[in-house]
Amino acid sequence: MKSTLILFFTLALFSVTAQTQFTLSGYVKDGGTGETLIGANVFNLANAEQGTASNAYGFYSLTLPKGSYKIVFSYLGFQEQAFEVVMDKDLKLNVDMTEGITIEEIVVSADKEERAKNVEGTQMGTVSLPVENIKKLPAIFGEVDLLKAIQLLPGVRSSGEGNAGFYVRGGGPDQNLVLLDEAVVYNSGHMLGFFSVFNADAIKNTTLIKGGMPANYGGRLSSVLDIQMKEGNQKEYSAEGGVGLISSRLTIQGPIVKDKTSFIVSGRRTYIGDLAQAALKGSTFEGTNYYFYDLNAKINHKFSDSDRLFFSAYFGRDVLKFRQPKRDFRFDLPYGNSTATLRWNHLFTNKLFFNLSAVYNDYQFQFGGGQDEFEFKLFSGVKDWNLKLDFDYFAGTKHNIKYGLNYTYHTLTPNTASATSGDVEFNTGFLPKYANEYALYFMDDIKVNNDLAINAGIRYSIFSQLGPYTSKLDSTQYGTFQPAITYTGIEPRVNFKYKTSDESSIKGGITFTNQYLHLVSNSSSTLPTDIWVPSTEIVKPQRGVQYAIGFFKNFKNDTYETSVEVYYRDLKNQIDYADDYVNDITQEVEDGFVYGKGRAYGAEFFLKKSVGKLNGWIGYTLSRTERSFERIENGRWYPAVYDRTHDLSVVVNYQLSKKWEFGGIFIYGTGKLFTPINGFFFTEQNLNLFYGPRNSQRLDDYHRMDISFTYTPNPDSKKKWRGSWNFSVYNIYNRKNPFFINYDINTDFEKGTTSIEGTKITIFPFIPSITYNFKFN
Amino acid sequence: MKLHFYLFSILVSGMLLTSCEEPYTPPTTDADQQFVIEGYVEEGEGSLPTYVMVTRSIPYITTIGPDQLANIFVKDAKVTVYDGEKTVALTQLCLGDLPEELRAQAAAILGINADSTSLNICLYVDLLQQINKKQGGRYDLTVDIDGYVMTSTTTIPNFVPLFDAHFEEPPGEPSDTLAALWFKIKDPVGPNYYRYFTTDDEGDQLIAPFQSTTDDAFFDGKEFDFPLNQAERRGGGGDDNNNFDDFGLFTRGDSLTVKWMCLDKVHFDFWKTRDFAANSGGPFSSYTRIKTNINGGLGIWGGYSVQNYRLYCPPK
Repeated sequence: MKSTLILFFTLALFSVTAQTQFTLSGYVKDGGTGETLIGANVFNLANAEQGTASNAYGFYSLTLPKGSYKIVFSYLGFQEQAFEVVMDKDLKLNVDMTEGITIEEIVVSADKEERAKNVEGTQMGTVSLPVENIKKLPAIFGEVDLLKAIQLLPGVRSSGEGNAGFYVRGGGPDQNLVLLDEAVVYNSGHMLGFFSVFNADAIKNTTLIKGGMPANYGGRLSSVLDIQMKEGNQKEYSAEGGVGLISSRLTIQGPIVKDKTSFIVSGRRTYIGDLAQAALKGSTFEGTNYYFYDLNAKINHKFSDSDRLFFSAYFGRDVLKFRQPKRDFRFDLPYGNSTATLRWNHLFTNKLFFNLSAVYNDYQFQFGGGQDEFEFKLFSGVKDWNLKLDFDYFAGTKHNIKYGLNYTYHTLTPNTASATSGDVEFNTGFLPKYANEYALYFMDDIKVNNDLAINAGIRYSIFSQLGPYTSKLDSTQYGTFQPAITYTGIEPRVNFKYKTSDESSIKGGITFTNQYLHLVSNSSSTLPTDIWVPSTEIVKPQRGVQYAIGFFKNFKNDTYETSVEVYYRDLKNQIDYADDYVNDITQEVEDGFVYGKGRAYGAEFFLKKSVGKLNGWIGYTLSRTERSFERIENGRWYPAVYDRTHDLSVVVNYQLSKKWEFGGIFIYGTGKLFTPINGFFFTEQNLNLFYGPRNSQRLDDYHRMDISFTYTPNPDSKKKWRGSWNFSVYNIYNRKNPFFINYDINTDFEKGTTSIEGTKITIFPFIPSITYNFKFN
Repeated sequence: MKLHFYLFSILVSGMLLTSCEEPYTPPTTDADQQFVIEGYVEEGEGSLPTYVMVTRSIPYITTIGPDQLANIFVKDAKVTVYDGEKTVALTQLCLGDLPEELRAQAAAILGINADSTSLNICLYVDLLQQINKKQGGRYDLTVDIDGYVMTSTTTIPNFVPLFDAHFEEPPGEPSDTLAALWFKIKDPVGPNYYRYFTTDDEGDQLIAPFQSTTDDAFFDGKEFDFPLNQAERRGGGGDDNNNFDDFGLFTRGDSLTVKWMCLDKVHFDFWKTRDFAANSGGPFSSYTRIKTNINGGLGIWGGYSVQNYRLYCPPK
């Protein structure tokens, strides 16, 4: 370990050599708020190939031969800026971008550069969605939701009607790495997943990587959803918020020391359950309530251009209280995430950016209740301590090198149940499981020539299950921190881009990934009770490889961006429950697992227009996802529950006037798979169902259209208080999409008949909503 | 565990959503139907004669009436049980062939709902009680239907008695008419599996109440008090959602019977998966295949060691 660190810092020192070239470096920021901008383009106007982009902290570094250049800074939605620079020495240039229209002179090349990323970048299947764009989409109950916006991209599908859970390219819900300021979010849903835990007001940027995961990410097979919180306004105090049908939210941000220290605090809470209290008074369920809330906070301090410190935290809870006073029956079901991230950015040189992150995250699920003297408690959770060192080395215009080290100490508490009845105590006695996870990565974004670029990386991961632990196989006892079993993984990742013309390219890639933590659901969608389990001597790591190739072409001077991508994924050590599994708290979940393999393949078509009054995209996916388990129907390959043959999303945004803006969504997808009932049989004169092959039938196809209008009464107002109204309609033509099928069995003894009523339940019909949003500064 | 999701989803839908329901008929399948075995070998005070019912499964249909049920019983099968010493052939008995007065009596002996005696229930019975039933015994079943052979094996485990029955005030608000039934048990160390029936509120039938099958994973080797629920009449009468206030409670002034049964792991697994499948349902649940110990069919061949406890719930 020590020698590795020395190697890292040695690499860092190499950067001060070779002075025939000079380096321009600095930060790109939003001039209005001082918020750093991620992924801003910085390039030589005369030769756009000589360019770079700002990293996750807004830092850029561009090394060029001695000479005079016109350097352009561009970022979508901001006015491009060009600077004449004479590169005869290393220069520092921090750029404040201003919102608005582009200067005529450079509009063509700069705007073009932004959209040309579609063709130019080596990354495939990577989409960044600025929160401002997400806020323009129609939203159910007016609740803006990042995860639901993500589901509109090709290759990504929703885990269920109205659900914020998502599946990427045939991968399970646990195969997505969801990061909030680098902290892993183990459960990203509120209210059984109908809403995501991300309060859009506190979020700066969202990036989804569904293919070609770069080597600096790992630990999950399918995708990365990297979400960054805002840092807080560096210039002035401001507040924004919204009042909606089911929840309200408020965000306050501002400078503590102008241009040096700033903070942001953002909160959201639902109140529909509180409003129902009056109706429940005097009823059988008096005192029953449900609500959820989120709190985001961040503070950052700039010591100098070379050193910055960030601290961010998130705390969210769902709380369900069930009361039935007459028989003294009660339970409380709180669950949620807390995360805290401390980061230190340091510039070793103007080419070498360093970030150190210490991250803590904790997901807890509790269920406690009782009746009379009987008390019952159930607890499960995941707690991580994580340390990350990341180096970003802008070696020149041909190389951008990233390398780093990641260490996590995991504590995973399985469903630990305990109960007391009077003086007697019961408990399942399950102990938490502990693990160390290390990863080491190195990657280089190489511009071979004007046409060919390669992103090559490798990640080496080590995972050890640690004691205290008693082997289930041979009863060996392992002491604290003593490894019970260690798994390793070598994960090469290669992507290439080859330009076939000025406006088209071919991209391809191979990505190997390993996953050491698993969440298996016996439900049709992920629930808060589903439990994360580590790889152990019994549970093997999931392993996957993805092959992808695509053709990318822009039309009409980059006004239209298009792509076609095809992929094939091979998945090993997939985990599921057998079909006779019974959810039983007296059993550890891993004892109910069965192991198998998976494969997924598909083609994704994407057409996007991001300029002009009318913009939006159309995404279509044709895909197949299958699993095979020896213990399920003798290894028959069956379509996984995530399988959806056709999946179409149309997203439209239209600026009707300065005051009115229209948003629309149309979604179509092949119906959800289910396992059909083959027939009935009797035992003890009760009717039982027996089932046909797993996932061998489909419910009706899914489709719906949502629209929204945003009305800003005074768009040019310079007043301190500025408001806007959002009118949304979910499912405008009231499509009755099946949520699930319920079977009711009723026996009529007089007639001697038993009837079975199948009922199709639809949960979200035509739903209008209205939200008032405001900003104050 | 499923219960709170059910409640959760009620709350969610109640508070927020205007859900909508439409009748749904699944696409017809030409699925092959299967033979179903239901048979028990019981030992102890209150045990039933050994019997086996052989039926056919019924394809998905919206209403199962006498027409469908008339043909489910498989007649003229060869049913034998090997008790470790000898093979005993069971005798076919169709209630419809019995004189009216004997029919009800036979149904009562076999624990069959008197209301369904209008059906021509056919079963195979050890009429002469030849099978040597004992705790620790193993019983091999063979059913031959015109050359289609199904087999199964079960055991009768050692009996673990209940003791110290007592009635207490129900939890929550006091009641003049209702009482909770409590028993004590001393669970032996090692895995044990239990099941119980109680008479329903009309007092004439022994039925399995909600959550009446359990293992001892939570209380292995402990002695403690626990409440037993009263069974509800089959079919439920459609007021399932309104019985929160008297759920599981007994009526004061009634006499009742509790049938306490010990079973082995395989037999327990059948009821555990059956009960889970019957009670799961709802938006988030996936399907559950009911485990069986019948080779070549569905259902259960199960051994029990049993005891009946007859009690009187005194008025306040």
